[in-house]
Amino acid sequence: MAEAPTHEDFWAALLCDNSRAGGQGPWPKRPPQSARWQLRLEGSVRSAPVLRDGILYVTALDGKLYAIETVTGRPVWKFQAEDRIHSTPSLSGDRILFGCDSGKVYAVDRRSGRELWRASAQAEVWTSPVNVGDLALFGAADGRFYALDVATGKTRWARDLGARIYSTAYATERQIYFGCSNGNVYSLETASGRVIWSTLTGNGLDSSPALSSGLVLIGSEDFYLYALDATTGTIRWKLATGLGIASSPAVAGDTVMAGSKDGYLYAANIPDGRLRWKVRAGWVITAPPVTSGNVVCGQAMGGGVYAMDVRSGQRIWAAGLGESVQSCPVLTEDAIYLATTEGMVYALA
Amino acid sequence: MNRRTFVASTCLGTASLFLDQASSRADEEVRLPPPPPIHVHGMPLAERSPLGMPGLFPGRVVEVFHSKSILENYVSQPIVRLMLEHGMQTLTGESSVKAAWERFFNPSDVVGIKINPSGAPACYSSPELVREIIRGIESAGVPTRNILIYDRYSTEIQAGSYHALLPVGIRVIGLEHRARDVEAYDLNVYCEANFFGEWETRSYLARVVTQQITKIVNVPTLKDHSAAGVTGCLKNLGYGSFNNVARSHHAPITFTDPLIGVMCSTEPLRSKAVLHIMDGLREVWHGGPLTQLQEFIYQAGTLFLGTDPVAVDTVELQTIEKKRQQEGALSLWDRNPANIVRSEREYFRDPHKNLFFRQPAHIEAAGKLGLGVWEPSKIDHRRLDLG
Repeated sequence: MAEAPTHEDFWAALLCDNSRAGGQGPWPKRPPQSARWQLRLEGSVRSAPVLRDGILYVTALDGKLYAIETVTGRPVWKFQAEDRIHSTPSLSGDRILFGCDSGKVYAVDRRSGRELWRASAQAEVWTSPVNVGDLALFGAADGRFYALDVATGKTRWARDLGARIYSTAYATERQIYFGCSNGNVYSLETASGRVIWSTLTGNGLDSSPALSSGLVLIGSEDFYLYALDATTGTIRWKLATGLGIASSPAVAGDTVMAGSKDGYLYAANIPDGRLRWKVRAGWVITAPPVTSGNVVCGQAMGGGVYAMDVRSGQRIWAAGLGESVQSCPVLTEDAIYLATTEGMVYALA
Repeated sequence: MNRRTFVASTCLGTASLFLDQASSRADEEVRLPPPPPIHVHGMPLAERSPLGMPGLFPGRVVEVFHSKSILENYVSQPIVRLMLEHGMQTLTGESSVKAAWERFFNPSDVVGIKINPSGAPACYSSPELVREIIRGIESAGVPTRNILIYDRYSTEIQAGSYHALLPVGIRVIGLEHRARDVEAYDLNVYCEANFFGEWETRSYLARVVTQQITKIVNVPTLKDHSAAGVTGCLKNLGYGSFNNVARSHHAPITFTDPLIGVMCSTEPLRSKAVLHIMDGLREVWHGGPLTQLQEFIYQAGTLFLGTDPVAVDTVELQTIEKKRQQEGALSLWDRNPANIVRSEREYFRDPHKNLFFRQPAHIEAAGKLGLGVWEPSKIDHRRLDLG
């Protein structure tokens, strides 16, 4: 059985790992002073890079998955998918999983770049497949949520919800949580795909959930950040922002942070939803923030990359480069890795 | 001062056109350079569609207002549906909503919805309105798989979350994913002019327009525009379907007049654009098209419908000019060189400044190309107040 990618020392999936808590790795010892290297890819990047064993894996709209050495910035190999890739890759043992716009989902060997299997949805897959146990779990724009055998790519079950899914799931051995374009947040049973509960918000969802203290935390295009009871789906609290929320929340201790399209990063108290602070980070935030210790870091449109203190929201540093629609930084002790809408990948140190 | 613009066309069956542009009060204040000749290479058509601009109802504009269509920036889709239904019936004179949509679409059509995501998420073609337009097109029998939305910039579409907010089966197409992406354009259909000595003098029309879709529903927004004066039906359609258009601006000079109208008159764009539904739920009265500053965005709660983009844009121009007067902002026709600033930051925050000598007369110029009615006295402007 494949190992579950939950080790805290490396980046395995969107927002670090399946816990979706954001950057669990150590914060760099000092703010970045310069670019160690920069690499221009052949396509725009709309996904987040993931990192393991000194290799950064990045997908791009040229349909390629790139494996890039973090020391040199040199591509080790490239894998060509059959269409554009908006999906953040995830790691399952030595497999890299991702979807593409034709509906294909791929498993690629992370050492060689060789294709292991491919499966098909009926429309684009922008979500990042999540591996729990022997399942690869993801939603697609065809309105279905899929569970595949992670070793073979064969479909175990598919649940038709009739509305587009762009929200990467949070999954446990028992339950799966994600948002849907019909405004519902769903919880499905992992083994069968049975709907356990659904809770309606005021508009579609483009945000991916985090789970903390028994609460599912997710943003909606109805301008609210929601906290739902993970067992029942009951709304515990919701926090108003100025516009829709496509940014996925990140968690640090008892604080949840999410960007809003109004350009502000919001921090709320997880138990009761009380607003702790909000700080403008750019014109528009649609990309998720990541956290490490007391630092929250992210990429905004019209603002580049920012780093703020989790406790106060005070800006620690910011840089004009790194503008992104959906990517988020990878934090390590000695460098920060960024991918941008213009197709640049940076190692800042 | 009158200027004459020469527009050459190689489109079969189309003679060269001479535009006698209207004198504008602005020219009394500053002498602007004349636009260069524009060479048009359109797609030959056997016959021009009667549905093409100015379409079935030249000069008719239906303005629909509902006070609860947008509250605290949040759009009510049920109320937008009500507004759209009343607007479509008033525009067409049909007794049912379905019949109104059937005046424009049939089951064999492939329909492109030209949205305006520039300015997303503060002011853009509302997904709530787009969903209702999709519902209307489907009611005329068009299969969901034959409906797509498109715009030039996939980043702006993504910022608007259209992909996550539309029904299953609707294709969402961004033509450009980063700077200088040209693969989505048809190299055989273009407008060519050398405005400022730029190295690429052609603007190509999107292949999705030339090769995939049979009809276009144009969904612009109610916005001022730093260069064109306003961005409405004409600018959304022309500058959002052709590439390489920023080259027509070199502050403080812009050649949006006459390029916008020339692009919209190019076949097959002209024949395929059959319906224009302007999203006036939000009204940007300064800083358009990209501003995110809420102090310049008024929640107007209005839709404008028509088949004549010139007439709709004329009403838009009047609406925004009136709002700017109320707010004490410069007239859209202002051409006082003393009000021109070089700093975008200063411009965005100060409605008494301009980046360009704006060109709202591009609407009149488009009218003179036969795209619609530009004289206000000849416009059949119907207002519906639904609550």
